[in-house]
Amino acid sequence: MKILIFGAGNLLLSDEGFGVHVVRYLEQHYTFPECVELFDAGTMGILATHKIEEADWVYIVDVVAVDGEPGAVLRYGKDDFMLNRVPVKLSPHQAGVQEMLLVSEMRGRCPAEIYLLGVIPVSTAPGSELSPLVEKRLAEVADALVVELRARTGLSLPVR
Amino acid sequence: MATRTITLDPVTRIEGHLRIDAEVDNNQVTKAWSSAQMWRGLEIILKGKQPQDAWVLAQRICGVCTTVHAIASIRSVEHALKAAVPMNAHYIRNMIMAQHSLQDHIVHFYHLSALDWVDVLSALKADPKKTAQIAQSISDWPGNSETEFKAVKDKLTSFAAGGKLGIFSSGYWGHPAMKLSPEVDLMAVSHYLSALDYQRKAAQVMAILGGKNPHIQNLVVGGVATAINVDNLATLNMERLAFVRTLMEETQAFVQQVYYPDLLAIAGSYKEWFKYGAGVTNYLAVPEFPEDSASTKFSLPGGIITRGDLQNVRPVAGHSDAYLIDNIQESVAHAWYGGNASLHPWKGETKPDYTDFKPDGKYSWCKAPRLAGQPVQVGPLAQMLACYAAGNGRVKTLVDGANAKLGIGMGDYHSTMGRHLTRGMRACVMADLSLEQLDKLTANIASGDQTYANPVEIPNGEFRGVGFHEAPRGTLSHWMVFKDKKIENYQAVVPTTWNASPRDEQGAMGPYEAALVGNPVAEPDKPLELLRTLHSFDPCIACAVHAVDPAGKEITRVKAV
Repeated sequence: MKILIFGAGNLLLSDEGFGVHVVRYLEQHYTFPECVELFDAGTMGILATHKIEEADWVYIVDVVAVDGEPGAVLRYGKDDFMLNRVPVKLSPHQAGVQEMLLVSEMRGRCPAEIYLLGVIPVSTAPGSELSPLVEKRLAEVADALVVELRARTGLSLPVR
Repeated sequence: MATRTITLDPVTRIEGHLRIDAEVDNNQVTKAWSSAQMWRGLEIILKGKQPQDAWVLAQRICGVCTTVHAIASIRSVEHALKAAVPMNAHYIRNMIMAQHSLQDHIVHFYHLSALDWVDVLSALKADPKKTAQIAQSISDWPGNSETEFKAVKDKLTSFAAGGKLGIFSSGYWGHPAMKLSPEVDLMAVSHYLSALDYQRKAAQVMAILGGKNPHIQNLVVGGVATAINVDNLATLNMERLAFVRTLMEETQAFVQQVYYPDLLAIAGSYKEWFKYGAGVTNYLAVPEFPEDSASTKFSLPGGIITRGDLQNVRPVAGHSDAYLIDNIQESVAHAWYGGNASLHPWKGETKPDYTDFKPDGKYSWCKAPRLAGQPVQVGPLAQMLACYAAGNGRVKTLVDGANAKLGIGMGDYHSTMGRHLTRGMRACVMADLSLEQLDKLTANIASGDQTYANPVEIPNGEFRGVGFHEAPRGTLSHWMVFKDKKIENYQAVVPTTWNASPRDEQGAMGPYEAALVGNPVAEPDKPLELLRTLHSFDPCIACAVHAVDPAGKEITRVKAV
């Protein structure tokens, strides 16, 4: 059983880097066993397909640009991707995560469970810091993810 | 017939956000505008930072080309301080660069551009047995079996029945410009699926050699921080290097037996695309893969080609070539930046001044780089032409072979298909050179050389440097000015800035724009032909924003006026 936490985003564009910041926060605050991999994916798109295929459960953390309250966190599951119900093409980069997952499914290697945790950004202006509101979500999303993983897997994931 | 304007916004299957406007008359493009729709803030973020740390941030400029920006950035500091790099460090960097190129070219061909030529739905009609016969006639790849092709066809059929193929919505299935047989379509779709395994092997090599992928960790000014100890298990040892060799050989086999034969088959079926898409035929490539410590000798030569003339190529002597360094300027006459002056990158300014899209005024976030005042095309085509003109044996063999097989001549390379063909050749060269560099590294270690870096302290005072790199998409340069250990100015002139450039103050079009003029457009509502020419450049407008499409927005807006 392998769990992948896939932090996507561009660190140079403030809230755009949310996913990467979450991965770094988790690294700093918790201890993970080998079966949980924290992956700083940057903005790789389809080049990261193999990372996803190697895991059984995947949590993608990213920003989503949908209508709604900035700072809100949305959650999507595998069916949402496969049936094209994620209301964003996750990224304008390359082919997008939906095509990537569909290709994995065709190869018979799509993970059993895959989730997208997406925050609606306040700002994607050039800068290496998160906006105050999204900064607040960072710990909330990361801590909630740890609570969920503990409950579902029985792993202890101790605080550092 | 009335003139129609087609707007593609954004162009899909590329990195980043590109808008193209094209005027079409009698099913032919008469004018075109290329507009980068994103603003890159890297130059501003780097001001005031320490020069030796810039590469860490610079590789976040783009999600795919992380490595290339790291290399160009570190080279700019080494150039400024005239720092020599030990051979072990060169070999390790060279392998990382070559493997990154392979990953990029494989993904570009299969995942970002093949569907411009391959009709996925047509593959549903293919006979797997005939497909296997065709595939086996062009290659002895073990995966080309009837069983394999049947499995892919069955999978496609079940996905189509479940309505799941709609996800490839940017594909133009059934378009009259699609002309492969169903069998060749099935072969290509099958290889599209397996190609992912080989781009991964290249990524694994980068992770082993660079400490991490994406975002390598092992660079230092004056070398690499990689610890190599042939006997120590915790470092890059002989066992890891043997694994690297296996991965490189597997990727080489895929390129030689799958990618390149598929490319030749597709090129042979679409030979008319050797007649379209030339555009700007001035080319630039810098030499790459340093073979000596002072970076004066290289595995592959560079060159400056003017108006397609391969007889009178101006050599680029090295990464300190004075003519090249002195003659690059960036124009902002049609770009959303303040002022109208053309500036040398060391004096470059980044002052955003957005005005809306004005075809006769400013219309892009991309500046217009010019070499001695002329627009220039960069990329594998430029590099392979420069190598061919310089008599490089490896490239000459590939070019002569392709010319004989396809019945084409050197004039046909200035085209949409010429760009695809030379990218495939470049992949073959990169696969071979990767292994050659590994042999050289192991031989050098065996000879007792244990140096991986010449540590360099950044001194007080003012310095300027440029780091060139012949990257997968073409010539990349990072220009840095630093004073008393702080960056004063930073400018990245990336391959796509050359190719996606807007017009300059003379009104001369950039390579994308010029290449689109004269392209056929069979159905203006489905401008597949424009995508073919654009994708042939491997566009990468990344360098910026990552999540932009609001809910419900069409992926490609086609506007007919």
